[in-house]
Amino acid sequence: MNRLLVSLLCLLVFCVFVPLCIADAVNGVLAEERVVNLPQDSGKWYISVVGDVNDPRYNEVVGWFTTNPNLKKLKDQVHFCQVRTGTAIYNERYASNVEGLPTVRMQKPDGVVVYEAAGESIPMSAAGLNGALAGAVNEAQGIRPILPWRREMERRCPGPCPAPNPDPAPMPDPEPQPIDNGGGLPEVDPVESPVEWAWLSVLCLVGFVGGASACYGRQLYQKLYPPVK
Amino acid sequence: MKHFLLAAVLLVVCVVCGLPSTSTPITRELPTVNVPKADRQHNWIGSQREGSCVHASMISLLRWQGRYGTASYWRQKYENGEWPDDLAAKFNKEGIRYAYVTNGDVKFLEWACNTRRGCGITVMGGAHMVCLVYLDAKWAAVLDNNNVEKFIWVPRETLIAEWKASYGWAVTPIYTPAAPLSR
Repeated sequence: MNRLLVSLLCLLVFCVFVPLCIADAVNGVLAEERVVNLPQDSGKWYISVVGDVNDPRYNEVVGWFTTNPNLKKLKDQVHFCQVRTGTAIYNERYASNVEGLPTVRMQKPDGVVVYEAAGESIPMSAAGLNGALAGAVNEAQGIRPILPWRREMERRCPGPCPAPNPDPAPMPDPEPQPIDNGGGLPEVDPVESPVEWAWLSVLCLVGFVGGASACYGRQLYQKLYPPVK
Repeated sequence: MKHFLLAAVLLVVCVVCGLPSTSTPITRELPTVNVPKADRQHNWIGSQREGSCVHASMISLLRWQGRYGTASYWRQKYENGEWPDDLAAKFNKEGIRYAYVTNGDVKFLEWACNTRRGCGITVMGGAHMVCLVYLDAKWAAVLDNNNVEKFIWVPRETLIAEWKASYGWAVTPIYTPAAPLSR
């Protein structure tokens, strides 16, 4: 009976002390968890939109990264930097190397610029900017753009009118980006082509049938009405 | 012969003119967390006659990560000495994303510098905090808020030894770091 009591007592002591030890360890683990869960995003590319907060065009371009689904998706994959004129970051890191305002610049993690457009060189529509960025990413990968003529065409085509001027009031810090472990090459959705390419095969078939019929018809005609020799 | 030379010169001129304009390429930026001078927050004496090195470090890092509004707010609201738990509570209260360690885990420092965010680290036996702005296999650089004019370069192992002997506390906000200089 005594042994049983001693065993129970030992078990009780064990049950009380083990959780205490684990709890103590958990304090240390809390810090460890932070390390484990830190975003491993050193390989992310950078997109900087540089401009004056009172410039409607700057605010419009910044807004595209919220309103356009493709650009929004891209924004979540990269480090998105809204750089405002007048800040020290702008003065020291952008003022001397941007060609105009606003500027959209896409960089690899090592700083290599793969796309930059300033002022009037920025496409007039969100879709146009997405297409330009997609082209730049493809070129950076060494992939030849599939439809290079389309981008030029899109630049020439009139797009929807620019959005109304946004409020020029001083802006608070932008919404923070989601934390993730993303990195590497961003996936940019290509610009959707308005041509239904499925019709191409139908057109080919029609052309082939038409050609064959014409050829057969000519032979038949020559057979029925042989040339006079 | 003269025609040949003229053609050669013209060819060279054409090739040179056709080259893409390379505007003074900037080589590797050192330190990685190259906080602009105007964004480096100097330490200040708080209401309790204590230094505010932890807050100064966090303000510099917040500015580097594009959070100018938050940095201004922090400068107005918080000061004096700080402890890890108290700072964490303040960050939680203000809804600021952050990460920290108090166990001297060097992986945290490497992560902070690899992701170009930097971090505050304790030095001088835990009496002071500075910003770690660079760390590689051999060297480290810190930005001391008592003298924000220049970065201080020290051997990596020296810095890590100093940090570990100072409670091994490192902390940083987690937002978007400034983009690297264009190349």
